[in-house]
Amino acid sequence: MKFSGFSKRVSDAIAGYVLLLPFLIVLVVVVLYPLIQGFYMSFHNWGIFGDPVWVGLENYRQLWTDNNFRSSLWHTVYFVLLTTPPLVILGLLLAAGLNYPFRGRTLVRGMIFFPYLLTVSIVGIVWRWMLQRNYGLVNYYLGKMGIAPLGWLAEARTAMPSIALATIWWTIGFNLVVFLAALQDIPEELYEAARIDGAGPVKSFLRITVPLVRPTTIFVVIMQVIASFQVFGQVFVMTGGGPYGSTRTVVQYLYEQGFRYFRMGYASAIAYVLFFIMFVLTIVQWRVMGRREL
Amino acid sequence: MSAVRRKMSTGRVFGTLVMYIVGILWVLPVLWMVSTSLKPESMIMEAVPRWIPAVFTLSNYQGVLERAALFKWLLNSVIVAAAATFGVLAIDSMAGYAFARISFPGRDVLFMIVVATLMVPAQVTMIPLFFMLNEATLLNTHLALVLPRLGVAIGVFMLRQFFLSLPHDLEEAAAIDGASRYRVFVQIALPLAKPALSALAIVTFVWAWNDFMWPLIAISTQDMYTLPIGLSTLAGYYGREYGIQMAGAVIASLPVFVVFLMFQRQFIQGIALTGLKG
Repeated sequence: MKFSGFSKRVSDAIAGYVLLLPFLIVLVVVVLYPLIQGFYMSFHNWGIFGDPVWVGLENYRQLWTDNNFRSSLWHTVYFVLLTTPPLVILGLLLAAGLNYPFRGRTLVRGMIFFPYLLTVSIVGIVWRWMLQRNYGLVNYYLGKMGIAPLGWLAEARTAMPSIALATIWWTIGFNLVVFLAALQDIPEELYEAARIDGAGPVKSFLRITVPLVRPTTIFVVIMQVIASFQVFGQVFVMTGGGPYGSTRTVVQYLYEQGFRYFRMGYASAIAYVLFFIMFVLTIVQWRVMGRREL
Repeated sequence: MSAVRRKMSTGRVFGTLVMYIVGILWVLPVLWMVSTSLKPESMIMEAVPRWIPAVFTLSNYQGVLERAALFKWLLNSVIVAAAATFGVLAIDSMAGYAFARISFPGRDVLFMIVVATLMVPAQVTMIPLFFMLNEATLLNTHLALVLPRLGVAIGVFMLRQFFLSLPHDLEEAAAIDGASRYRVFVQIALPLAKPALSALAIVTFVWAWNDFMWPLIAISTQDMYTLPIGLSTLAGYYGREYGIQMAGAVIASLPVFVVFLMFQRQFIQGIALTGLKG
């Protein structure tokens, strides 16, 4: 009996590792090893030709004083601030509105969700056309309201908000789906009880919906900040970081340094600073928002 | 009582109306894309935009297909997304099952490591990956695009949760009948996991399909472009020829539209289960 228990444990251990092995190998090769290698590279002058030269902390020191990097950090934070509140608040409001049954509800849900499935280049080229200065749809309708036409993506003041607008249009459907799933867990009786007590829709939204989806909201905010912090495709397709570098975000800058100028060591240092900032941001958000739950 | 009900219902009517308006607002850019793609080049830029083209033409579609290797890019995207999906399903289901159901030394530590890798932004591993694949002369291949996708741990995490939620009875009965761990996994656990597997499949497919930064870096020749990369070059080459660009965009969104209509439920389930933005 004792022996068979032991042999079962051994065969279980073997089975466990056999099943795990393929994923573990891939994880080591494409994530864990590159993670360490990238850190190592960030202490070098590392190009595509010639041998890497050890420079210690020089890349990090240089980043600290690099104005382009500093401005790219600010542009990224600006983008996060422009996109996160609308994507979370609008996402929750739309989910609440689309949780009530009405005719055509599934269709409306699909209409709002659909852009999320489009690939970022489609989003980029469609919005470049929508926002075009002379013949764009946006300027045409604003003109009807008496607003003078703007080169939305060509002016430093409006370029980033325009990219944010396209991003909200593109990804709101994702948050909508996550919130809808959370809303379906709220028992209908709660709303009925509130209705009997004379609470209107606004009141029951604020008193029932908002507090009960709080854990989901925290989750969505954290995920949204992470996603927005890594913004790249929209910027690359819509403005390429311009005009005058006004939409150059951290990842756009990393791409330029690493794959346009092939300063791989420097780009690795940027990647690690990005990693560090995102890590700290996530921890801080957990602490601040999750306190009441955890 | 009836006064209250009437008030509620006007509130509802108003809310419903707002939802219809938002829905319509949201599809307008898509409709404008389709409308532009069907106009002759000379009628695209008009002082007063027309939603319904005065003259319908397919010349933009002809143009984009002649000038860009759209179908080649489409094929590349299909190959990469399908291979990534099959690969992820195979290795993630095995790993997820092992983590959920088999006890072996080091399991909890390994699981912690796997979950921790979810915190690593993709940009951190891209530069070393670029070098590794360059050394292995694998850059500019389909494999280069599939490999990094296989290392994403979210599927392992999600399938582990799913296997944990399954009742033990069936597996135990099979084990008593003398079935090995592997047979129990393949013949009992996997078939039960179909809903979770299809949800994972559809989100993996769409994420791989929409990948942008990595293919931009790893692919260097036109014939190897995936759709997102190829389309982004259209904007550069045909900067002011919006008809051509919109036709390309319409062709590229059609497959996604069809997939969405077919798998809407699984897709939404997949998002609700993983909760991760591509």
